[in-house]
Amino acid sequence: MKNLLNFFLKYNYWFLFVLLEAISFTLLFRFNSYQGSAFFTSANWVTGAVYDMADNVTGYFHLRTINEELVQKNVELELQLESIRKALTEATEDSSGIERIKQEALAGYDLFKANVVNNSVTHADNYITLDKGEADGIRSEMGVVTGSGVVGIVYLTSRHYSIVIPVLNSKSSISCKIKRSDYFGFLKWDGGSSEFAFIKDMPRHSLFSLGDTIVTSGHSAVFPSGIPVGTVDNIADSYDGLSYLLRVKLFTDFARLNDVRVIAQKGQEEQLELEKQLVKTTK
Amino acid sequence: MLTYLQRIEWFIGLVLLQVLVLNHVHIDGYATPFFFIYFILKYNAVVSRNVLLVWAFLLGLSVDVFSNTPGVNAAAATVLAFMREPILRLVTIRDSAEDFEPSIKTMGFSPFFRYILLCTFLFCIILLVIDTFSFFNLPVLLLKILTDASITMVCILCAEAIRRKK
Repeated sequence: MKNLLNFFLKYNYWFLFVLLEAISFTLLFRFNSYQGSAFFTSANWVTGAVYDMADNVTGYFHLRTINEELVQKNVELELQLESIRKALTEATEDSSGIERIKQEALAGYDLFKANVVNNSVTHADNYITLDKGEADGIRSEMGVVTGSGVVGIVYLTSRHYSIVIPVLNSKSSISCKIKRSDYFGFLKWDGGSSEFAFIKDMPRHSLFSLGDTIVTSGHSAVFPSGIPVGTVDNIADSYDGLSYLLRVKLFTDFARLNDVRVIAQKGQEEQLELEKQLVKTTK
Repeated sequence: MLTYLQRIEWFIGLVLLQVLVLNHVHIDGYATPFFFIYFILKYNAVVSRNVLLVWAFLLGLSVDVFSNTPGVNAAAATVLAFMREPILRLVTIRDSAEDFEPSIKTMGFSPFFRYILLCTFLFCIILLVIDTFSFFNLPVLLLKILTDASITMVCILCAEAIRRKK
């Protein structure tokens, strides 16, 4: 018995060794099979705090790379923004902006929906036929517009059809103004391209520049003020040299006209009657 | 000879060095230095085995806790502490009663080199075998043992050289 005790005492470190190894392997196997032993992992608060502190220090070493990445990202986003902004400008100029101008201009007017059943752009005097007539409330001298801008003026009406004198007709003369400065003139067309018309008598002192938007002036009883017509495409002297000749790029694409609106101005007849009286009295 | 306070300072310092720096050192997954065993290697020669075993176990466990490998380093360090005395006796022809801190100065370069060579390889073999827990990819395992032990030895020799100059 004493020998056994001596043996144990002499080799007690063996037991400690075996014990410690047993603990180690218990930890090892428990960790692999059992997730609850979070205490012996980096999930406990001491190790967490130490790693936090270390991260506070080492975090600075990555700042340079992070900075470079951010600059790179910034440049990319800047480019993207630029292209999106450009697209937005184009989009608003093309449709929604004009649409908005038109909606503002058309407040207080009646609109009749009509379809183009006959159309031409190649003659010197073009006419458009609509599938709506007197039965639908269309009268002559009413304005005709489309989604993008001015089309023309109703000339003749039958019971179910009407004929329109579009801008692309030598008889057409629509009172227009420069939207920015309100100087006005008459929109004429003298053959040639269906994309361009002319304003012949823009005063010398009027203010405008290339690209300015031309809208209807509202001076005639036909169109309300502010219906988009086109943009100033070219500036030249008129034939008599007393005024400017503006070439206007029309918003309306007459070559593929289909869906149009006829504008009926409330009180149009009253205005016309008054103007007739004026003519009579001056005679 | 170090006081207990100094030992604790060494202990904490080596654990932090290991978990914050050296554990992240590797070349394509190989050659990670396990410098913290320096604590065990430098312990006085005549220390009681039990004391050294407990120190080694706690040291290994501390490193384990930080590296999410509970038991691996603890087991290997405990084995190293257990085997240190026989290895020390093997490489030196000294009287075992004499107390000294293992170093080049006290042992001579060749015995000291053999001492750390045996200890480091023993530690790395046990550590990596437990860690891998298979001999499936034996060449990789052997290469890992070789590189890890080599870089650990380089670290220990560097530390020795720096401390001798002081």
